[in-house]
Amino acid sequence: MDRRPNPLNRSALLATALLCATAASAADIGALWSHQASAGTQLLPVDQAFALVSAERKHDRIEVTWSIAPGYYLYRKRLGFAVEPAGKAQTLGAAQLPAGTPMHDEQGDNEIYRNTLVAVLAIQTAHAPQRLRVRYQGCADAGVCYPPQTKLIDVVSTTPH
Amino acid sequence: MRSILLIFVICAVAAAGGFLAYRHFAQPDDIAGKPLPAGIQMNDLDGKPHKLDDYRGKLLLINFWATWCGPCLHEIPELVKLQTQYGARGLQIVGPAVDDPDAVRAMLGTLGINYPVLVTTAPEDMIKTMEQLDNPVGGLPFSLLIGADGVIIKRQIGEFSAAELTQLVESQLPK
Repeated sequence: MDRRPNPLNRSALLATALLCATAASAADIGALWSHQASAGTQLLPVDQAFALVSAERKHDRIEVTWSIAPGYYLYRKRLGFAVEPAGKAQTLGAAQLPAGTPMHDEQGDNEIYRNTLVAVLAIQTAHAPQRLRVRYQGCADAGVCYPPQTKLIDVVSTTPH
Repeated sequence: MRSILLIFVICAVAAAGGFLAYRHFAQPDDIAGKPLPAGIQMNDLDGKPHKLDDYRGKLLLINFWATWCGPCLHEIPELVKLQTQYGARGLQIVGPAVDDPDAVRAMLGTLGINYPVLVTTAPEDMIKTMEQLDNPVGGLPFSLLIGADGVIIKRQIGEFSAAELTQLVESQLPK
């Protein structure tokens, strides 16, 4: 009887073992990622998820800019702007916002923003505000929402008055 | 013999890789296994104070939520079913709201919540309570399952699925 191992069988055995080991490892890692998403341990701090970058005065308007991390979004209907401190002479026009991405959830029909958002606020040049109070609220695609934020931000001028 | 050795080496490498991945990616559920911090108190919508310590002896599911949180509103009907199904066996759910009390009142009718909804005077106070309970980002929904002995069994930021909830509660209640 020929007792030499069949090279074909040996290769198949090896390939099967390799596949099983790789698959097991991949499954473990996948389960860990899944756990992390559900446990929320990888959530960014709110200021990294929704970074309020700047409020720039450009002639008769102020542009307020956010940088939104991938996998996160801001709700259009939760944006708010006011002059800080509130003053009769300094008023803001209604915010001009870009069209957001439609989204329907338990809160009804919404528009959301991803990546970058620039809100444009009309101002009276004679009474340009120096500081704004900005409100916003958003969520992560992982199914976690952040509490509404209210931030004070200084208005910087990028054009001559 | 050489092929067996090779398979062993491959498996050992894969196992080591898996272990290193675990060490790299896994983050311990820090607060689980520790007692619920004592003295946490909130009011219900009628102003009646509720101390979380007073629920000792029951399986307590604390579900922080808000009216502005879509995943929370999606999860609440499952919690309502759970309270109905397991209340008699010792489950008590409470729902602290990270929200303005008036906004909560306005939404209660549509949600049909059958367990105490708790509030604080200012939502910021509720956020501080969540931080105390190991939720530094303030993400919602946020749930803690507390055993009858007051020890935290599970902490989760994000929604539970209905199956997860049922399995978790079933596993902790007396048969």
